[in-house]
Amino acid sequence: MILFHLDPRSGVPTYLQLVQQVRQAVQLGILRPGDQLPTVKDVVGALAINPNTVLKAYRELDHEGLVVARRGVGTFVADELPSPPDDLKGLRASLHRWVERARAAGLDDENIAALLAETTRAERPARVA
Amino acid sequence: MTAPVHAHGLGKRYGATWALRDCTLEIPTGSVTALVGPNGAGKTTLLQLVVGLSRPTDGSVRVFGADPVGDPAAVLQHVGFVAQEHPLYRGFTIADTLKLGLKMNPNWDDELAHARIEQLGLPIRRKVGKLSGGQQAQVALTLALAKRPDLLVLDEPVASLDPLARREFLQSLMEAVAEGGLTVILSSHILADLERVCDHIIILANGRTQLASPIDDVVATHRLLTGPRADAAAIARMHDVVSERHTERQTSLLVRANGHVYDATWELHEVDLEEIVLAYLARDRSAMADTVRSA
Amino acid sequence: MIWVSWRRQRTETLVTAALLALLAAVLVPTGIEMASTFDRDGLAACLGAQPGQACASALSSFNSRFDSLGSFIAWLTLVPGLIGVLLAAPLVLELEHRTHRLAWTQSVSRARWLAGKLGLAIAVALAASLVFTLLVTWWRAPMVRIDGRLDQSVFDSEGTVVSGYTLFALGLAAAVGVVWRRAVASLVVGFVGYFAARIFVDTWLRQRFLSPVTTTFNLLSGGPDKLRHAWVLNEYPSDRAGHHVRIPFDLCGPPPPGGGKPDIGNCLADHGVFMHATYLPAGRFWALQGIETALFCGVALVLLAFAAWWTYSRAD
Repeated sequence: MILFHLDPRSGVPTYLQLVQQVRQAVQLGILRPGDQLPTVKDVVGALAINPNTVLKAYRELDHEGLVVARRGVGTFVADELPSPPDDLKGLRASLHRWVERARAAGLDDENIAALLAETTRAERPARVA
Repeated sequence: MTAPVHAHGLGKRYGATWALRDCTLEIPTGSVTALVGPNGAGKTTLLQLVVGLSRPTDGSVRVFGADPVGDPAAVLQHVGFVAQEHPLYRGFTIADTLKLGLKMNPNWDDELAHARIEQLGLPIRRKVGKLSGGQQAQVALTLALAKRPDLLVLDEPVASLDPLARREFLQSLMEAVAEGGLTVILSSHILADLERVCDHIIILANGRTQLASPIDDVVATHRLLTGPRADAAAIARMHDVVSERHTERQTSLLVRANGHVYDATWELHEVDLEEIVLAYLARDRSAMADTVRSA
Repeated sequence: MIWVSWRRQRTETLVTAALLALLAAVLVPTGIEMASTFDRDGLAACLGAQPGQACASALSSFNSRFDSLGSFIAWLTLVPGLIGVLLAAPLVLELEHRTHRLAWTQSVSRARWLAGKLGLAIAVALAASLVFTLLVTWWRAPMVRIDGRLDQSVFDSEGTVVSGYTLFALGLAAAVGVVWRRAVASLVVGFVGYFAARIFVDTWLRQRFLSPVTTTFNLLSGGPDKLRHAWVLNEYPSDRAGHHVRIPFDLCGPPPPGGGKPDIGNCLADHGVFMHATYLPAGRFWALQGIETALFCGVALVLLAFAAWWTYSRAD
């Protein structure tokens, strides 16, 4: 069973944090196909967050095909996980090279993270507004 | 489906002072609404009008379509209320308190009430006066929840609680909401809590509604713009300026954007809920100060 | 609703019961003693038309034995006031501690809640009044047979007036308390008000309830029967027609010039010594009781109605 945690200062919306934690758990094998995700009630009881936030996260995961919601029973990790995006390998490789370049330029981990956050944020208004 | 709360032009005057004025709002079903504002803003007045403890001076308020003052029995059966400082009878044991709930509420679910007390680990034979603040708040919440309300109204439920008790209270509350069929209004000072727990927000200041909106919308539509002072007026014409700061050459505006801000000279930043709320509260205070000065 | 009202009033009701039990513990033994003395000394026979020789001394010894106890017991008339204000406490405390915000947001209407609370307070007040009256009336029965019951210190624990007193004290403390919202202070004010009202009625108003009767009688032939157990409001020596005289001058004339004592003995024997009395006869007992009860109950009703209305129309 996965344990959720929340970072209220990260700037990442709560529901997204939950989504990311489920994705990570699946990738790391903490959650396996067929495992049940905690009920909405359990999650809000642990984190003191709005149930709609959890529903939103679970809906997003369902949309991605990572989980399956079964009415009256619960939400379960999908038996067949969606394949990772085709160019994930390519993305990872170019990210590797970029990080090497950044380090060579003298950026430390914190600067790298800040640069990354700024860039992803700059890309986001197009989606939200 | 009638809205849990519908207020129209609602106002309440005590003597010469208007504690609440011209309040028109609707609470959406199933929402958890935060009611924020400084002391004396009218939060308690509004909540008292909703549960029928007060009679409106102006306008009207309807709870599930019924008048809380004119038809209290109809309204109170569906509304759970925890007043400020969670009043309870100190001389009663928890068991006595639950019995009071049983005797005074036709929809009382005694099993639920006792189950909740047991789950929370509260000593049912102890006198309420001997419980800690957090425990008392939980008892008051149990009293409100066990009548199976459709609307839960909480007036500063966590104000006097330590951080752990506060967290436990909110966990408990969210579990109750997760079970479904509950609309919640809670007033509070503590904005960080509200952001986790609420999906709607109403900002009250000086007895007037400053903002009433889903929280996601609020965060999505408010932006901090920094740019040259000379261009400030143009922006102000197009968007609602909530607060502004100027230096000689630079201006910083918090706006509620009406559509996209296309002007490239302006830097756009997202703002978190707490900053937005504070800006609204500060705006009203300075507006009040201006009127006082000019009067 | 009844359980809730009872539970909220439990302490005050138990204190009232304890007070009455204490009262009984004091009155019952002494009452039994007094009744048996009365019987043993055959005092019943002394109250008839032909009192025997021993009666005067028997009555006098009975009186001297129990008189001081009787005057002490007379102070018990403060107890109904005490009970009345005590029973107002639950309502006032509710407002003082603002727990009405809890009570009025359950599913019971404010009117029903008020009715339950006040209703129970009134019921207990009446029950306590009844117990008090029965207890003291029983205790005093021998004395009443001797002296009647119109006397100030006796009248106010007999009949129906005690219920009026208790309700009045309850109403006053409640009316003050719901406005002021300070329980202890309101109860004190209520009790003081009760005390003042009682003194006023006892010493001034009661005698004006009904028009008194007058009579003139010869002192030397003993008091007339109609004055038996009556409440004498005023009494003075008079002439045969009832006009006030100063003995012996008005009657017997000034002393003869030249000194010597006037012959008062003969003068009085000739004229007779009369007394003119203004009184309320014993038979007026229930009329007086009725008026006083109605008076206190009427004011109590107004005060309670005010307290109810004031509470009902508040929010916070």
